[in-house]
Amino acid sequence: MLRVIVRISGSFSVIRRVGTIGTPRDLASPGFWQNVNVESHEKYLYTEGERMAEQDIALMAHLMRRAGFGSTYEELERRVSAGYEATVDELLNPEGQPDLDMDILERHFIDWRDMNALEVNQAYWTYRMINTQRPLQEKVALFWHGILCTGNSKCEHGRQVQLQLDMFRELGMKTFPEILRGLARDPAMVFYLDNCMSHKGAINENWGRELLELFSLGVGMDDEANYSEDDVKEAARAFTGWTITNPIPRYPYGRYESNFIYNPYDHDEEEKTFLGETGNFNGDEIIDIICKQPSAARFVARHLYNFFVADEAEVPAWQRTAPRDPEAIKLLEEEYYRSGYNIGAMLKVLFNSDFFKNARFEKVKSPTEVVIGTMRLVRDFTEPKLGLHPLANTIRYMGQDLMNPPTVEGWHTGKEWIDSGTLVERINFAADQLGNIGLPGVKDIVSRIESEQITNPEGLVDRCLEMVGSYQLADETRGQLVEHAGKGGSVTPGTQEYSQCISEVLQLIVATQEYQFA
Amino acid sequence: MATQTISVTLQYEKSIGRAEFSGPGFRNPVAMARGEDDTMYVVSRSYEYRPDGKRITICTTDEDYVGEFARGVTDQGEGEATSADGALIWPTAIAINSEGNVYVADEALDRVSIYNQDGEFLGKWEKSGSGDGEWSKPSGLAFGQGDVLYMVDSGNNRVQKFAKDGQFLGQWGSKGTGDGEFNMPYGITVDANGDVYVADWRNDRIQKFSSDGQFLMKFGSHGSDPGELDRPTDVAVDGDGDIYVADWNNERLQVFDRDGNYLTHTEGEGTLSKWGAAKLDGGNPEMWHERAVAQGLEREKLFWGPIAVEVDDDGKIFVVESARSRIQVFRKQYPRYYGPGESMPGTVGGVGSGRL
Repeated sequence: MLRVIVRISGSFSVIRRVGTIGTPRDLASPGFWQNVNVESHEKYLYTEGERMAEQDIALMAHLMRRAGFGSTYEELERRVSAGYEATVDELLNPEGQPDLDMDILERHFIDWRDMNALEVNQAYWTYRMINTQRPLQEKVALFWHGILCTGNSKCEHGRQVQLQLDMFRELGMKTFPEILRGLARDPAMVFYLDNCMSHKGAINENWGRELLELFSLGVGMDDEANYSEDDVKEAARAFTGWTITNPIPRYPYGRYESNFIYNPYDHDEEEKTFLGETGNFNGDEIIDIICKQPSAARFVARHLYNFFVADEAEVPAWQRTAPRDPEAIKLLEEEYYRSGYNIGAMLKVLFNSDFFKNARFEKVKSPTEVVIGTMRLVRDFTEPKLGLHPLANTIRYMGQDLMNPPTVEGWHTGKEWIDSGTLVERINFAADQLGNIGLPGVKDIVSRIESEQITNPEGLVDRCLEMVGSYQLADETRGQLVEHAGKGGSVTPGTQEYSQCISEVLQLIVATQEYQFA
Repeated sequence: MATQTISVTLQYEKSIGRAEFSGPGFRNPVAMARGEDDTMYVVSRSYEYRPDGKRITICTTDEDYVGEFARGVTDQGEGEATSADGALIWPTAIAINSEGNVYVADEALDRVSIYNQDGEFLGKWEKSGSGDGEWSKPSGLAFGQGDVLYMVDSGNNRVQKFAKDGQFLGQWGSKGTGDGEFNMPYGITVDANGDVYVADWRNDRIQKFSSDGQFLMKFGSHGSDPGELDRPTDVAVDGDGDIYVADWNNERLQVFDRDGNYLTHTEGEGTLSKWGAAKLDGGNPEMWHERAVAQGLEREKLFWGPIAVEVDDDGKIFVVESARSRIQVFRKQYPRYYGPGESMPGTVGGVGSGRL
């Protein structure tokens, strides 16, 4: 006995029970419908088991797009077998998975040993994101990189910025105070926001101001200011003496990283009043006071929601713009306090929540997500080879110059990623990749569909949509793809025409508006 | 009085080079070879996006710049690498035959390019594959007696022998950890007796063979203690039979005796080179001040990416550092015996002459 389900306009409906009539793939054959009395049958059928599997795959695809950079269909199947919550736990504990074989990589990418230039570091990070078995660790590093910004344009030393990313990899899912302490001691940040120029009796407010405005509290929330100008000055006083070693000049042999040092002779030991508390505060105590503020909980919760769940209003508007989903933010704020400000704990709540599971395709992909997600799908650059620099540059050309954000505010996200120029870059890039039948990931998709003997245009299109991440297209768009898939007439598995047909469908899918969403 | 042994020591002489994409200097150098008289040839691999830095620099051991060839500037522009004849993409090794011709291996192109001593392109061997006389990712070159060229065929985990005209003469090795087996081997050298030493990179050891591939000896195991190795990239042998290993991931040069017993090591003693000082004098004088106030300048002494080692007929030891774009030069201090009736070298009295 099979329960037959028809998918109508993207939703699933159980319509009737029928007798045993053949294999699930028989149900997909157009001829089957001549014997079935249903009003709408433009979509193909699923058994209940298949339907559950497809829903599980679609949910896992969603998780892996957000908590990582996307996965192949085979990886999704493996993860579905392991279970959703088990996958979340694995992602939250990256040390359980092996790191990259850096010896082999440095042997081939000889410039990765000292990583001086920005472009070398961008290539390294690109490779890392494509190949990591710890995708959430890398995604969290990207998350913090877009908020706690440091730019190579000022640091002029890619390795120094890369070391900051290493700090995010290590601390990014620990507690918020640990992350801010790491940031306050990070030499790239100390230099980028001039704290090395802030002295006892002659403060530079840059770090103190951005720490409050951009890195921890935000200007305000619920129409209230979160701090005053005096708080900025007092924070700056507390961080005097937090500086870095004098650098070794770049000539003649190349740069060396600077290190954080604390100079007690340059630290302001006088009493400070900060956010209503008074004492002889040093930097760590300022961070402790910051992290217990309700505005810090809101700040972290909204950023997590904006990055991992759904596009919010741009950050500068948050003071006067309520969260898109106040209940979700409330839940995350509660976990912030319950867990002792633990980011990993907040992410666990987030990924296991209904508001996350129901937020599919509610985010515009960043350029990094477009490029890395596509490369993970086609499984190119899984070992050292030429062409990595041009690939990394593609992310830059789409508007995200990694490790070199336009300002300390980072990048404007969501729909602001897209303009007519970057959209063309996105579509051309993804279509070029999926159109290359020689790439392992494309080959795998073709082989899989071929083995399932799917020949009708609707089946081909829908199966391709599932294979690239369970994308759902508007009916009109899907109809156009089906029309294209069928225009050459019937195609036979095992032929060049069949592979070409699938590749063209894949190209069309990644050229759709829907593929720009995660 | 009991006999004591003075250990081998390495005396630092100087540093050669500076980081440059052209002209006097190197960019991510990976190999070098000594030419006639005091000339030397240094292979720069550079960054992928800066093929203009890929080249072979000819200079002297006194840092007199002679010229460069195979520089990767192309018609497509400086950001585009080229596989044209004579060009380099991912060069790995260099060797010079008795006629002074220069052979350079390229693991991206699976190619050996041949130039005369002035850098004029003479020809290439390009036989990608796994059959006899074919190769995958060639990573080491060394000429032996009779101008026989030994190539580390890294992708196929073996050593191959060729006549100087490219005729295949033989091969040995396969993937594994046993005697005569390899795991991504890298550098190679031939000693005065014609025996062949291979840096068995991912097995963290050095293997020694006769000229026809008969296994003779191995030493080294994974680790960072004295005598242990972490991804050795290259090996060289001096006239006394002492063996020098570029212990790449341990950032040091180790010295072993002819039997593979550990003698000593150095982590580098780099100083400002002649070209380096000229760089600061000629347009960057503020950097003299920056160096004067820099904290941690002692790091500049240390090796960073010691990827190749070469010993010349004068007993000079050259260590190529890929991440510092320079070469540190050392000399070995000869060990002596001293005991009853003998005195330390340089003191009044007898001088022991025995070699360890």
